[in-house]
Amino acid sequence: MLLELKNIKKQFKNNHVLKGIDLSVEKGEVIAIIGPSGSGKTTLLRNINFLETADSGSMLFREQQIDLAKPTKKQILWARRHMAMVFQNYNLFKNKTALKNISEGLVFGQNKSKTEADELACQALDQVGLLGKKDFYPSQLSGGQQQRIGIARATVLNPDIVLFDEPTSALDPELVGTVLHDMKTLADKGQTMIVVTHQMSFARNVASRVAFFSDGEILEEGRSDEIFDHPQHERTQQFLSAIAEDY
Amino acid sequence: MKLSKVIISLLHGLPTTLILLAFSFIFANLIGLGLAWLYLRRNPIANGFARGYLGLVRGTPPLLMLLLAYYGLPKLFLLVGIDINGWAKLIFGIAGLAIGWSAYLAEAFRSAYLSVDAGQYEAALVVGMDTKQAFLRIIMPQAFLIALPNIENLLIGLVKATSLVYVIGIVDMYSTAVDLSNQNQGVYQLEIFVILALIYWVVVLLIEWGFRRFRKHYQYVTV
Repeated sequence: MLLELKNIKKQFKNNHVLKGIDLSVEKGEVIAIIGPSGSGKTTLLRNINFLETADSGSMLFREQQIDLAKPTKKQILWARRHMAMVFQNYNLFKNKTALKNISEGLVFGQNKSKTEADELACQALDQVGLLGKKDFYPSQLSGGQQQRIGIARATVLNPDIVLFDEPTSALDPELVGTVLHDMKTLADKGQTMIVVTHQMSFARNVASRVAFFSDGEILEEGRSDEIFDHPQHERTQQFLSAIAEDY
Repeated sequence: MKLSKVIISLLHGLPTTLILLAFSFIFANLIGLGLAWLYLRRNPIANGFARGYLGLVRGTPPLLMLLLAYYGLPKLFLLVGIDINGWAKLIFGIAGLAIGWSAYLAEAFRSAYLSVDAGQYEAALVVGMDTKQAFLRIIMPQAFLIALPNIENLLIGLVKATSLVYVIGIVDMYSTAVDLSNQNQGVYQLEIFVILALIYWVVVLLIEWGFRRFRKHYQYVTV
């Protein structure tokens, strides 16, 4: 087991966003988290890498037990340096070029030399076909290009797990394909991923398991074909039938 | 007296003006940075101190600030047993201007820091930077670019404020012009002040040019 989450609870004021989430992830698995907006999917990811602190719950990651409500600074840094995240709004560093966006984490998170980091970053850019844009700033790139660099920035760190927070939601529809393609390539290489997504075709075809979130709980979880073809829970059936997408 | 002599006399005061400008601007920035940092602390003492300082300093006319620095600082230093009465007037001029401008700069820095997109900080943490690295490599450079138009405005304002140091007897361009005008029995009176205005204007133009160059260099960094 690479990652095991136990009973994660989080509330903002009176709003219970996570009501006791359990989720385990094996190495090489791609978990898709689907469900209506506001159901806590993003909050779960943000709790896993400590962008938010859970009220209670624990995480077993690489055989290290971490209390999510009281993580130490050392644990936070350690965990973050073994996982990576791709944001909905890309969040590329606006003051850094495409190349430096990717190499920065290698230099500061992993103590690589600048030359080595730049080389690895060039390779990563080349893999997504954007080497020609290495000296461009984010403002000079399309949303699709920014997100593909966002993915390169995450994977170049060679993380044990990559957390994707609705990576295609902010993109123009015609740019979604390229980003999903990069993600599928990653999945095929055996990268462990948790993907919060509204792209049902991706969840169905690429994810090994799907968790359906509703109102701060995982209502249903299973192999993707099970969830999509035979959803057990009424709320899941409702959600899937309401989505117009032909998956 | 010839007009060319007027120009030369006025330009003799320019170095003093530029020294005042440069040093008071540097110190104002340093104090401003410290204040902004204190203001952003959650610690109520730090925060309260910064707010108090800002309120007092922003509520004091720059001319009065120079007088307070000139007469007040020696008394303040004497309290801790240091005699600075013999220090050059220029130092008090720099101190007065730096204190006065530090409050505005602090607000420019603070507001710029707060308007950096929170996602930038999160992204820095997520790639494995610690909070200090995230601040120095990602947040501060972006905040600086956001603050730049304000900083430019304040610097230009400071150019003109340097002329106020005549109140503590420093001989800069402005007081040279006033002296010339008094000595010349009204000859070239208007010309003297027009030339003075032109010199200030050139200094401001140079500053604007410098900032424009800088902005152009970072034109693709949209913060």
